[in-house]
Amino acid sequence: MEKIKYTVKIKRYNPEEDRSYWQDFDVEVEDSLTVLELLMYIKDKIDSTLTFRAFCRSAICGSCAMVINNRAGLACKIQAKDKIKRGVIKIEPLKTLKPVRDLVVDQEPAFDKLKKIKPYLEPDPKVVPDNTKVESLVMPEEFARYDKQTDCILCMACYGQCNAIEGNPEYLGPFQLTKVFRFLMDTRDGMDVKERVKLAEDNGIWDCVQCQMCFAACPKGIASCEDILELRRVAKDIGEDNVATRRAKFWFESVYATGQIDKFNLAKVALDNEKGDKIKENLEKEFKERGIPEDEFGPKPFDGIEQFQKFIKKLEKEI
Amino acid sequence: MKKIGIYPGCCFQGADIHNYDITTKFLENMGLDGILLERAACCGGGVIDDTNKKVVYGLNARNIALAEKEGVDLYTPCNTCYMIIAKTKLALDSDPELKEAVNKILAEEGLEYKGEAKIYHTLNLIRDFIGLDEYKKRIKRQISGVKIAPYYGCHVLAPNEVAVDDPEDPTILREILEPLGVEIIEGYQNENTCCGHHAGFTNPKQKERLAIKPLEGAKEAGADIVATPCPLCHKAMDGQEEPILQVTQLINVACGNTPEETFINVNKTEVKLSL
Repeated sequence: MEKIKYTVKIKRYNPEEDRSYWQDFDVEVEDSLTVLELLMYIKDKIDSTLTFRAFCRSAICGSCAMVINNRAGLACKIQAKDKIKRGVIKIEPLKTLKPVRDLVVDQEPAFDKLKKIKPYLEPDPKVVPDNTKVESLVMPEEFARYDKQTDCILCMACYGQCNAIEGNPEYLGPFQLTKVFRFLMDTRDGMDVKERVKLAEDNGIWDCVQCQMCFAACPKGIASCEDILELRRVAKDIGEDNVATRRAKFWFESVYATGQIDKFNLAKVALDNEKGDKIKENLEKEFKERGIPEDEFGPKPFDGIEQFQKFIKKLEKEI
Repeated sequence: MKKIGIYPGCCFQGADIHNYDITTKFLENMGLDGILLERAACCGGGVIDDTNKKVVYGLNARNIALAEKEGVDLYTPCNTCYMIIAKTKLALDSDPELKEAVNKILAEEGLEYKGEAKIYHTLNLIRDFIGLDEYKKRIKRQISGVKIAPYYGCHVLAPNEVAVDDPEDPTILREILEPLGVEIIEGYQNENTCCGHHAGFTNPKQKERLAIKPLEGAKEAGADIVATPCPLCHKAMDGQEEPILQVTQLINVACGNTPEETFINVNKTEVKLSL
């Protein structure tokens, strides 16, 4: 084991003064420390007032999520030496939750949103036996559909890195939507699919910006952004008609017909209102002004499109 | 002349048709022979997933296979196309069964996904394919007296598995912009906040609320222009008080193109460059 010197830059918060500030701690420590052990060292040897939340040290309790070098993650799962960038490690509280003190944030708003989506199984009487003597079987291939999603430890790393919350503080959040997906896929769940999807829609799936940050943050490798796309797919497949489902349908049809998305008609079809018509009119005007020939306003099928269409059909059927 | 496959995404379509000319001019300025992958299809844009995730894998296996048939690597200037195609490559390379199943269907079109072609975006194309030294040699003039705020956009830095640079401390955009003679403004408020492009249809208000944030941060830090490699970020953020351009537009100007030749005049928010 080797000792290394570096600076730990911590964004602290003092609730008495309602003030956030950066403080530098110069350390010389073993190179084997996790970020959590580094924080414990600072608390023990340099500043006992430094406050953070931690418990299991094994990436299972989900207490120590924080932002390290602009990326959320679990302090106990991350090796400090891997995070030294030009001699510095930068540590902040999760970004979308209010700090209580230093690195501790108030998790309640995120838990309140979790409660909103009814994160529990409503047993389907057709599947789940009405007594405890008979097992309620889930086949391995059924469980595989949401196996990964059950690994969520509610650490809130995804929530603390979520761009959609930056845009809309009421946004439900990535792990909450993953939870909707998880119960929707559960063969034992008896709640009506429409009702489950509805729970994910209000300040939910349509506000996601698909930035992938939840996936990058998750210590368990869960891609909430992809679960959200699945929820959008389910919303479309149960016949919901809105701008997003119309867009998704047109996008697929257009790519099937030509290989490319027809952006000339997309707004008109998706919006399906005067605004959409106006966007198309303006585009037409702009194209004419720029001297673009009319047959190039939208995409044309490439040579061999029939073969491509066979390819898509086979993909849908065989993969 | 080194060859590179140009992947035609939707950023070359419709009102964004000039992005194709910006891209081919950029490759020309870099001394590369761009081969348009004519039969390539949409990457899915995160929207075809709403229909069928597996179709997305198939579409992009086919896109990469088209490049491999030409014996070239695949280049796209779009952050999202890059991310989705690179993610597909990871999925195919780590799942032999998926690769085999896709290849079985691809064979009917005379194509095969081998996994040999590399996936490039403007940032790693300059660093790894062209080389920063060669890139610098091709800069003919300096764009002086302008303060530029680099804006990466999300999909070149996340997910981590496909990031083109260290997502926690990226430097590549600065290394590309500095040789143009501009002053770099980094560490501004909301420099990592998403442009919101992909909520443009699903919730336009969400997009508007996000798009303004990095621009305001850059303006407050004293930047004259925000520079992004991504045509979608550009589209989402153009039209506000603070102007935004694509990195390749600035490179083209520094390589001798006029601002009009690289479509800076098409910007909704006017940009003035002193040369």
